Amino acid sequence: MVRQLTKKYRNLTAVNGISFTIKQGEIFGMLGPNGAGKTTTVEILVGLRSADAGEIRVLGFDPAAHKEKLHQKIGVQLQMPALFPRLTVGESLKLHASFYPAPFPVDQVLEWIGLADRVKTQTYKLSGGQLQRLAVGTAMISNGDIIFLDEPTTGLDPQARRQMWAVIGQLKAMGKTIFLTTHYMEEAQYLCDRVAIIDHGSIIALGTPEQLISEHFAEKAIELPQVLAEHKESLLNLPGVTRIQADGDKITLYAAQVEAAIRELIQREAAGVLTLSGLSVRSASLEDVFLKLTGRSMRQ
Amino acid sequence: MKIFLNLVSATLKDMLRDKMILFWFILFPVIFMFLFGWIFSGTGSPIHFDLGVVVEGETPLSAALVSSLNAVDVITLHQGTLDDEQDALAEGDRSAVIVLPKFQGEGSVTIPVYYNAAEQTNHILPLMLGEILNGVERMILRQPQMFVLDVQPIQSEPISDVDYLLPGILAMALMQLGLFGSMRLVYLREKRILRSLGATPLPRIQIVFSEIAVRLLIASVQALLIILIGYFVFDVRLAGSWWQIAAAVFFGAAVFVSIGYMLVSFARTEESANGILQIVQFPMMFLSGIFFPLELLPSVLQPVVKVIPLTYLGDLLRGVLVGIPYNYGPSVSLLVLGAWLIVSFSAAVRFWRWD
Repeated sequence: MVRQLTKKYRNLTAVNGISFTIKQGEIFGMLGPNGAGKTTTVEILVGLRSADAGEIRVLGFDPAAHKEKLHQKIGVQLQMPALFPRLTVGESLKLHASFYPAPFPVDQVLEWIGLADRVKTQTYKLSGGQLQRLAVGTAMISNGDIIFLDEPTTGLDPQARRQMWAVIGQLKAMGKTIFLTTHYMEEAQYLCDRVAIIDHGSIIALGTPEQLISEHFAEKAIELPQVLAEHKESLLNLPGVTRIQADGDKITLYAAQVEAAIRELIQREAAGVLTLSGLSVRSASLEDVFLKLTGRSMRQ
Repeated sequence: MKIFLNLVSATLKDMLRDKMILFWFILFPVIFMFLFGWIFSGTGSPIHFDLGVVVEGETPLSAALVSSLNAVDVITLHQGTLDDEQDALAEGDRSAVIVLPKFQGEGSVTIPVYYNAAEQTNHILPLMLGEILNGVERMILRQPQMFVLDVQPIQSEPISDVDYLLPGILAMALMQLGLFGSMRLVYLREKRILRSLGATPLPRIQIVFSEIAVRLLIASVQALLIILIGYFVFDVRLAGSWWQIAAAVFFGAAVFVSIGYMLVSFARTEESANGILQIVQFPMMFLSGIFFPLELLPSVLQPVVKVIPLTYLGDLLRGVLVGIPYNYGPSVSLLVLGAWLIVSFSAAVRFWRWD
């Protein structure tokens, strides 16, 4: 669906020749830090910006050329919630429903986004998270074939985020195709069928979350939050450790044999070389993939 | 069409729930109407003078003069000593003080008149007093009057200040609605609401049309309120027919809506848009003659006066609403306003940025 898409802003290349295809009925995630080019990609896909190069087809339409036809068939939530401030939640949904040929009922969407008790609240009085959910609601109500969600859970508290995940899962169950961007690894990992990791305008990895992790890591991660980066060298010779990532004042060891590595670590602590307080062991995650591929942590 | 009506209703709700919009576009013109109405309905009354009379010696002649002065409608007499009356003059309680000396024997008599020259209307007072004294003199000398004035006012119903002001206030309200109402489109752009709606099937030009529709609606409410208050509270006489008034109001609103969009299309942010609008509206308000006749303005400003659209809207509304004779004539006004409409509309289309 997208081939060699490029978008430049004056002297900044926001999107640099990315290509991907979204399958019908899947949740496709674009994962990357702020400024990676996610929002630009979404805005080009829905026809709000034009690409400088590349070929794009969304539902068979070129978004730049057939914006009107495309908009009938997709629902879009842009990154910053933007609604008439003095319309109520119900009125906003009703207004958006009136734009589309076969919208979902307002009550159903209210239920999904958990704002049924706020139906008469004017939108400027909503909290950031509620507003975000309403914006997602205006995209859902379209009953479009593809729903584009640009960072739908940014600014939500963990509970509301879980709730949003459930709604997105429900949309998928109804056969909708969903394109979402996020900078939360756990979100991409939990929600997405396939993930494209994007950094500096380029896709640096693409696949199912499991694929990506197993492709890059056979090891477990040992995190030592209290160890300074200067110990990096000395830790390399630990038994079973294959890679070390120093990130600020935190060190992450990737070890094929966790037990051997920890045994040695305990001895070194006893010798007073370093402290193990705060140590944790976990499976590698998409965050680790990103860290390995870029050398940076996603949330910086 | 159904989408558009939905949008208009949404826009209307969104705007009317904003108390600032209600205040500036509905309440403010009403307050203005009452305020100016009350201030200026008083000054419509005829000229009036407080005249101090100092009689230095009671004689039949002085008594005759006093009663002649007393007979003049616009003069209220205050008799007192010279010192008292001069003090009152200094304090502004008297327009003038006339001193009637002790009359004795033949020959001419000097009658001193002191008056407050700072008050412009007082300048006619010495002339009036001279005329009154001449009349008394002619009576005493039994001289026949050679010229007899036959004064006939030709305007049966004089134009009051409120008559003049009402169309001006309406023109001001329409201008402000047109100019400052355009801020909303900048707001919708800056808050990314235009962008958001741009990703829906709604054609975005409909957003502008619905903004305009709502503002024309508000314009008619403004006009109705101002005219009704003028008619029922301040006895403003209405000259034009309803359809003429409605046409002038809608046309004026359309011109200023268009000018408003032109002005805000030069601005990137809400703040700068507001600044541009303020810079334009403030001088326009005072140079357009909507509050006072243009003859009072210095002649260097007259060329400016002759290009600004508010001048012509004021003139048009004064003629259509209360029948004050046109300065420029309705066709000239319509032509100039029409030119402004076309120019500003084209500029707005050319320079407006959607994001």
